Amino acid sequence: MVMSSHSSFTPGDRRCLKDIEPRLFSDDGRPEQGGVVELYGPEGTGKTELLYHLICRCVLPKSAGGLELDVMFVDTDYSLDMFRLVSILDSRLNKALPKSSPSAGSDEEALLRSCLSRLLVVHCSSSAQLLLTLHFLENSFSSRPSLELLLIDSISAFYWLDRCEGGPSFSKQEEKLSKCSDLLSRLLRDYRITVFATCHSIRRVQTGLSSSASLSYSSDSDRSYLCRSWQRLVTHRLMCFRQEAANNTSDEAGSSIQQRIQQVFRVHCISSFSSSGSKPYKTNSFYVTDAGVEFTSV
Amino acid sequence: MVFLRADMCPGLDSDLVRDLRAADVKTVEDLVSSNLEDLAHRCSVSYKQISFKGNKDLKDFHPSGKALYAIRRVLLAQHSAFPVSGADLYEELLSSTAIISTGNPSLDKLLDSGLYTGEITELSGGPGSGKSQVCFGVAVHVSLQLKQNVIYVDTTGGLSASRLLQMLRAQTCNVEEQMEALQRIRVCRLFDIFALLHCLHTLCSDSSSSSSVEGGAVAAAVAAGGGGVEGVSLQQASVSGGSVKAVIVDSVSAVISPLLGGNHTEAMSLMIQVAGILRTMAKDFNVAVLVTNHVTRNTSSSRSCGTDVQPGLGVSWSHIPRTRVLLERVEEAGTGIQPSVRSATLIKSSRQPCFLREEFDLRFWSQTKTSTSGKRKREESDS
Repeated sequence: MVMSSHSSFTPGDRRCLKDIEPRLFSDDGRPEQGGVVELYGPEGTGKTELLYHLICRCVLPKSAGGLELDVMFVDTDYSLDMFRLVSILDSRLNKALPKSSPSAGSDEEALLRSCLSRLLVVHCSSSAQLLLTLHFLENSFSSRPSLELLLIDSISAFYWLDRCEGGPSFSKQEEKLSKCSDLLSRLLRDYRITVFATCHSIRRVQTGLSSSASLSYSSDSDRSYLCRSWQRLVTHRLMCFRQEAANNTSDEAGSSIQQRIQQVFRVHCISSFSSSGSKPYKTNSFYVTDAGVEFTSV
Repeated sequence: MVFLRADMCPGLDSDLVRDLRAADVKTVEDLVSSNLEDLAHRCSVSYKQISFKGNKDLKDFHPSGKALYAIRRVLLAQHSAFPVSGADLYEELLSSTAIISTGNPSLDKLLDSGLYTGEITELSGGPGSGKSQVCFGVAVHVSLQLKQNVIYVDTTGGLSASRLLQMLRAQTCNVEEQMEALQRIRVCRLFDIFALLHCLHTLCSDSSSSSSVEGGAVAAAVAAGGGGVEGVSLQQASVSGGSVKAVIVDSVSAVISPLLGGNHTEAMSLMIQVAGILRTMAKDFNVAVLVTNHVTRNTSSSRSCGTDVQPGLGVSWSHIPRTRVLLERVEEAGTGIQPSVRSATLIKSSRQPCFLREEFDLRFWSQTKTSTSGKRKREESDS
């Protein structure tokens, strides 16, 4: 257990993850070190797919467009589909690296394995266990300076369980998640990591969200319902939603987009800080293909 | 929420537990999150006040900071989850995940070759859309063709062993095989959520307890509600020849939706608990979990499904299953209503593009529409 002296770590070790996915954030509102990004949306809107995209971006070797960093994935609702992740990694590796020789098969295997070994996965089954696990992971953060990204899927998995356990008092209900948030803020301060967390929505969206980017996203169904400590911690909020696209005939990259309704996923970023004069909002759309998330050129 | 008890770990004796409780540290989480130097100080102060045996050295009495750190480290190692490398996890999944075919080629095409173990798959549909019939078909296929055990949790009373026998007879004429297949389907009948939680906990536990789990053959011979045999856990069910590969809960919404009108928070919490046990069971025991759900009217203005119904149990349940299929009756304009044809639409999947649609005929489970062998009459039953 690391007490107060972080002997094996210096603050300058961790590089900035600002460029992890510039298309998601507005130019000035990229997540700094110590930033917390919350991905919020109803089911089937691509939040976990975005996390896979971030994982690939981090663990792939530099020659394939990655950052060669370690990623810690905290899985609270068993939604990590390793086969899907591996198929995305595979297709990205195949696209980026040329197939040189017949013996490349085992090389590819070894490359895939080395990418996967940069990913650490931990499952939690209750908010108490999440708290204990975050304490335990402090060790990992201090001993692996290349561990810069913490993904939590999802932070809202224990919301109803905590509310019921806490009884009538709100503070008891939110106690565990507040403790987790406080611990996360200390970890962010001490180790300068970046956190992306998904949060499921619990209320149905009443009105269909239009594609206008000037909507002020303050409708009731999108308001954050988690505890105040968590809300204070979040620096960027990505609202995800899914739309029907009209049967568009874009055949970029020659891929076979079938003639049926194509699902377009949109993500809208609201950052809580941005320099004056620039828009704090950014909207983007992406498709989900076999190779993972592909942003449309909007 | 794990409370501190004496002898949970070396060094944690009852005196220390009492002192920690006096310092308002009652659970493992409190101990792990608190400042240990402070705590050691507070505990030592209480010792000083109680007794001070003149000659003995004070430091023999108070729990030194080092002891508390050691205790904290041990408790943390005992109760937190361990990170696993992605490569090891992938290896493990490669060797343990299986794809259970449903027996129906159209449904298999929709589900990307079948039900995956370690995941929850949801079938939703209105009344009479064929959810229970699909569950029967899956159970029969797994027990007869794949020769694996199936646990069928029936909460609607719609399971009829004679229907299972009829489906088996259509696939094989050998009476012994039929009986063996029936033996492999273990049925739990329960009608409220606490019985469901108890049954699922029993399945996940190491020891058996008395819940009413009957073999399918027993259910065929005795009318529903006859004497239940001793309950078994999944491990014991797997010992008796073949392992459990599928757990079917028909339907999960029948026990949860009556609660949603009352105390909302408690109902949601129970629903998430059921989801948690189903997921843990799927992952730890490598079974494919199939649940059924009802439907409600689709009120959102963006009708993304193209249908006017959506699966029930609300938004919080929608994140739980990995794959969701919507079943509907098919009404063809030209030929009139075909009573046994159903359409299945994929509304959520992490592997296939959404809104794929397949049609199949409930009369011919294992064969495709074109083949006409094994045609059998189906009496109108209640699902």
